Amino acid sequence: MSDAAALMPFPARRLLSRKAWYLLAVVVIAALPLVLQDSYWRTNLTVCAINVLLALGLDFILGYAGQLNLGHSAFYGLGAYVSTLLIVKLGVPFWLAFAGGVAFSGVAGMALSLFAVRLRGHYLAIASLGFAVITYQILLNWISLTQGPLGIYAIPPPPALTIAGVTLVDFHNLAAFFYLVAGFTLLVYFLLQQLVRSPIGETLTAIREDDVSAASLGINAAAWKVFAFGVGAAIGGAAGCFYACFVGTLVPDAFVITESFSILSMVIVGGMGTLTGPVFGAILLTLLPELLRNVGDLRLVVYGAALTFVVLFMPGGLAQAAKYLGSKLGLRSKPEGAA
Amino acid sequence: MTAAAQSLAATPPLFQAKGLSKSFGGVRAVREISFEIPANAVFAVIGPNGAGKSTLLNLMSGVYQPDAGTVLFDGQNISRTSAHRRVRRGIARTFQKIRLFKQLSVLDNVIAGFHVHHRIPAWQYLTHGAAFQRDQSQCRTEAKRLLDFVGLADRMGTEAGALSYGEQRMLELARALATRPRLLLIDEPAAGLNTAEVDTLLARIQSLRQDGITVVVVEHNMDLVMNVADRIMVMDYGQHLFAGTPSEVQKSPAVIAAYLGGELS
Repeated sequence: MSDAAALMPFPARRLLSRKAWYLLAVVVIAALPLVLQDSYWRTNLTVCAINVLLALGLDFILGYAGQLNLGHSAFYGLGAYVSTLLIVKLGVPFWLAFAGGVAFSGVAGMALSLFAVRLRGHYLAIASLGFAVITYQILLNWISLTQGPLGIYAIPPPPALTIAGVTLVDFHNLAAFFYLVAGFTLLVYFLLQQLVRSPIGETLTAIREDDVSAASLGINAAAWKVFAFGVGAAIGGAAGCFYACFVGTLVPDAFVITESFSILSMVIVGGMGTLTGPVFGAILLTLLPELLRNVGDLRLVVYGAALTFVVLFMPGGLAQAAKYLGSKLGLRSKPEGAA
Repeated sequence: MTAAAQSLAATPPLFQAKGLSKSFGGVRAVREISFEIPANAVFAVIGPNGAGKSTLLNLMSGVYQPDAGTVLFDGQNISRTSAHRRVRRGIARTFQKIRLFKQLSVLDNVIAGFHVHHRIPAWQYLTHGAAFQRDQSQCRTEAKRLLDFVGLADRMGTEAGALSYGEQRMLELARALATRPRLLLIDEPAAGLNTAEVDTLLARIQSLRQDGITVVVVEHNMDLVMNVADRIMVMDYGQHLFAGTPSEVQKSPAVIAAYLGGELS
């Protein structure tokens, strides 16, 4: 496509090509559990990967489609509970239950998006927050189904991969579990990047910036909001499925509404409307409190302080800071996610 | 009557409004307006501030639904058709108060305008296969042609928000043209333009008509309107005041009274 390349408005002056970045990500993911051998850090790695997944899902709704969703913890919880109940109560095979949890969360997201079609800004934020509160209360009080605050115990990890009776990968192994979640997360990242680098990226940006203007170009904003909520919520559901079978226990308190704000902080600190930003935002805000373990409940203070700092001094988050540094060093100037 | 005017009169109208009304609370912004726009015409709507011109344009483009009356496009009733569906039928518009996507580049603003014309199988949005690449390269080529037309070819990579006011108006025009309209509604295109820019705009509107696009201009700038329009409708207090050719409008006592105050008749 030399013709298209000639029309590219930005010179493709990058530190590494896209393929090289993905290769680097694969190498880093492969190396991490080998470098960090103790179970404490290997557990943190998986928690990081789950949080990255959550942040990516919310970023698609918030950063790209511009819908102020404060109910992401609900999609996370629904994915966890639906997949676990399918396994525990109905004996559904793991990957089928996983698909069920993802689909259920996606549909819940699309249901919530019907509010987004009518509400915007703060009103949508309140409606989505209400959705998260209601979901939490249902998980807590529908005791016959969820066992309420007592929780569900001894949730098995995904079944081991066996070929002809030989066990290849056993997900009781922390490193194997990390590879599973991180691999899935990398795949989701890739697919989201393909989406936002297609005309869908411009369509979502158009809706984010100006509904009326988008409609004047034939964009059905309502339908695209449903799409964005569906995709983002389904990704949140996937994170929930992994969480449940990783931790092995499920209590509603894992999905209280403060979890929504934690995910929101990861997206904002990382940089809304970019894909790399929320990845690093999630890693930073997962590991930082671990490093400050002895501060206990001050964890939320750390989140609050990080958020305040970012909003005041670098509203584009880590992504903006990296871009700024990159341009100082004469590297690529094209913003991530712009097709 | 010239030959061109006769051929205009012979073809069925592309757009018809019958008894359109729209109120906001107690304000009757548009009252029982009826008119016809022949295909391939340049139709101008003029009138004092607050005459209801922008409301009329919003009724035509589907931003508002009329309280009463019908809107026909190409013979079909589109009164209840939403704004985004009207774009698919071939109605595009620009805005009086500029509504570009300021964070997107000039090129990406135009590419956003191709929304209804992408022919990509759904899975290729994920795989970026051959049909996707072909579509993208076509979009870029056509976007560049449109930017050439409005004189912004050398600003493709600029953020839209960084353009000058006049350039932003031209970019809105290019973005609306990307939807490949048959009827283009332009809301006060000359506002904020200098004389030279108005002349270029005039030439561009005439060239659009040669390409077979029917143009509706809502405008204050009389130089532009008198030079470009085949037919002018004058509005006052939401009502139809007068309609005719530019020379008829200039001679109409009612129009002169509306513009200069009621004491002249």
